[in-house]
Amino acid sequence: MNLKSRFLCLLFACSGIVQLSSAQTPTDGLMMPKGEICVAVVYEDAQWDHYWEGTYLRTNGNIGTFDRKMLMPMIVGGITDDINVIVSLPYVKTSASGGQIAGIDGFQDFAISLKARFVDKKMEKARLMAFGNLSFSTPASNYLSDYMPFSLGFGANELGMRLIGQYELDKGPYLRASVAYLVRGTTEAERNYYYQDGSYYTSTMDVPNAWNGQVALGSWFLDKKLRVEANLTMLNSTSGDDIRVYNSPQPTNKVEFDQVGGLAQYYLKKGGGLGFLAYYNHMFSGRNMGQFSGYGLGVTYQFKAF
Amino acid sequence: MKIQLRYISLIALFMALTGACVENLPTELAYEGYEYANLDESAGDWNLILMTNNEEAVIPDPSAVGSAALNQELTEAKAKIAGASPEQRAAVIYWTNNPLLRWNEIALELSVKYNLIPGPNPDGTYTLPNPADPSATPNFPFAHPPYISRMLSYLSVAQYDGLITSWHYKQKFGRPAPYVLDPQIMSAYADNGLNSYPSDGAVVAITSRDVLSAMFPLEKEYLAKLADEHLESLVVAGINVKSDVDAGILIGTEVSKKALARAATDGMKNAQTPKAKSDSIKNAAFERFGWQWDNMETPVRPVGLTPLFGKVKMWNVPNVEEVRARVPPAPGTPEFNESAEELKRYADNLTVEQRRIANFWNDGLNTYSPPGHWNRFAKETAVKYRLSPVRTARVFAYMNMAIVDAGIACWDSKYYYHYPRPIQTIPGFRTILGTPNFPAYTSGHSTFSAAGSEVLAYFFPADAEQFRKQAEEAAMSRVYGGIHYRFDAEEGLDQGKKVGSYAVNRAKLDQAD
Repeated sequence: MNLKSRFLCLLFACSGIVQLSSAQTPTDGLMMPKGEICVAVVYEDAQWDHYWEGTYLRTNGNIGTFDRKMLMPMIVGGITDDINVIVSLPYVKTSASGGQIAGIDGFQDFAISLKARFVDKKMEKARLMAFGNLSFSTPASNYLSDYMPFSLGFGANELGMRLIGQYELDKGPYLRASVAYLVRGTTEAERNYYYQDGSYYTSTMDVPNAWNGQVALGSWFLDKKLRVEANLTMLNSTSGDDIRVYNSPQPTNKVEFDQVGGLAQYYLKKGGGLGFLAYYNHMFSGRNMGQFSGYGLGVTYQFKAF
Repeated sequence: MKIQLRYISLIALFMALTGACVENLPTELAYEGYEYANLDESAGDWNLILMTNNEEAVIPDPSAVGSAALNQELTEAKAKIAGASPEQRAAVIYWTNNPLLRWNEIALELSVKYNLIPGPNPDGTYTLPNPADPSATPNFPFAHPPYISRMLSYLSVAQYDGLITSWHYKQKFGRPAPYVLDPQIMSAYADNGLNSYPSDGAVVAITSRDVLSAMFPLEKEYLAKLADEHLESLVVAGINVKSDVDAGILIGTEVSKKALARAATDGMKNAQTPKAKSDSIKNAAFERFGWQWDNMETPVRPVGLTPLFGKVKMWNVPNVEEVRARVPPAPGTPEFNESAEELKRYADNLTVEQRRIANFWNDGLNTYSPPGHWNRFAKETAVKYRLSPVRTARVFAYMNMAIVDAGIACWDSKYYYHYPRPIQTIPGFRTILGTPNFPAYTSGHSTFSAAGSEVLAYFFPADAEQFRKQAEEAAMSRVYGGIHYRFDAEEGLDQGKKVGSYAVNRAKLDQAD
């Protein structure tokens, strides 16, 4: 049995910062065994003082430094050893140091996701795994998406289909890659006209679908109590318009970013109980979004439920 | 087979959960050509706005029914109809037999396109658009609410005078439409029996093209292309022959010249003042009242938006001071404090409905602005009552004259009183709407909306209550949004109503009813 790595409470390295929303992208290469439940709370604080207007990186004195804080409770449960269910509900608060536009706070999107391992191949001194992940998220409050950049999220349902592959040496190092297609629905504005390279006489806005990819290189240490990882995350909308000159973003924008991140996860003891998580992410290129840098801190608790 | 089914249901589930079927979001007003409720055959005698008489624009006498020249034109029209490409047939459906509505929609889209406020330069200065060099950065124009209101008034007045002229000649010459003259020609729209010489559609195409090209100089080519497509569609639709169109072009050209001559000398070119002038206006207000509005942006904008728009020539109000708002309560007085407290309460406890109202009427940057919003209502209502083109033009002309006059009156009060905005007087106050770059008192949206609603209420009495309610909601939206005190909104409504009544009084005497 490969239970050794399975007791580890899984958490999601790229949570939160993914496009002002979709805080829940179960990209990890870990699984909870049957009957185990992990409860986690992550606090994240991310900021930007530059943003991409189209692909032009600029500042705005009437925003100054933009800040986005998030508190995300999450539960992961092992239905079987190879099928996990993950739910999360982040609370988000936005504000800006400059200008006079009011920040807001509230529950963002409720997300539920099913993750299944369909390849688990034990080799000499190594292991190869592949996972599929189907996720769904939906706005959990009546927040206004058409209030960018302050809005809590993009205000649309999202269905994600993700494939994850992980190659892990018994000594600890691992390499992981994932790719996801995110199907996003529409969001409702409170105005019934908007401009997206032309007139739209409706309050319905089409939120572009997106590709999301990640590559991670990490390793286990201290008898698999500590995990350290560096990762590279990309998101590319498949359509959408650019932010107009010196104007606000809107949910129809073509959002892209490339982000580097580092993650450390530590468990006090094997077999469950308390764990801690810390991460830092920084965007180095993008389009139509703030150049976020931010850190996250999390506490996890894992126990056998049935 | 089973696996395939599973995939299909999975895809269906995806669509259902995300609402992914969004291919056809509406990009224009949904209406088609329709049968006019009334042909308004005597509209040729209605009062003109700019032109001195209904034959000021001269057109040649048409060739007679049965003449070789007209028969030749009918033959050519038939060939055009028979050989029409799918694009040409689509154009016929698009333009309809009340194309003024489409041109108004185009005017609104250009308004949105150009309604972007110039941002700061890297050194913190601002560069303003230059009408003498429209393609320089930032492009000319910055289509802000005063600009849009004035643009729409010239567009609508030119269309109206052109259509009155066209209706006069239609009646005078009495030449029937091609679909009446030739049984092989079918009208693409309802057979309303309107005489076709000169073409009313061509009048609308040319007045719209010419006025909009002057207002949006970088769009000249785009507008010329649209006008050509529209002119061509008139023959393809079976409602005009070439000489109808040519005569309409003559009228449109003459009327546009007259409209643009007025525009060139109406005072708009002095509305955006240099800093010295703007400072002297500010100081005058401070001397008079002991308060002044300051721009709160970073970096600070040195001059407010069009301080002398209040001096632009009005259409129907003889003197702007007749409609100047009363003196607002001074900051610090109990009446002021009450309004400021109300704003703080809304900021802390805005209901879902109040938020919706604030956003629905936002009409800020990157929108068609409050004047555009009322033009949208006018379009929808004209279609609802199936107005003829000339009666539609009347609604737009009087409404847009009232709206720009309201803007002028409002701007006169804004810079006469130079009243500070809530973000300036209430420490730490934050808002859900962006505060614009001009003084608070009176509220522009309230004034524009009240003027627009008064005119629409007069033309559409059955809907009067609804229009007035909408204007009141628009006024309150500014209070919910935190950018105006209640007295800005209420005085603005009052001012707009007064300005609107000048237009209504003129309309009552225009011989249309």
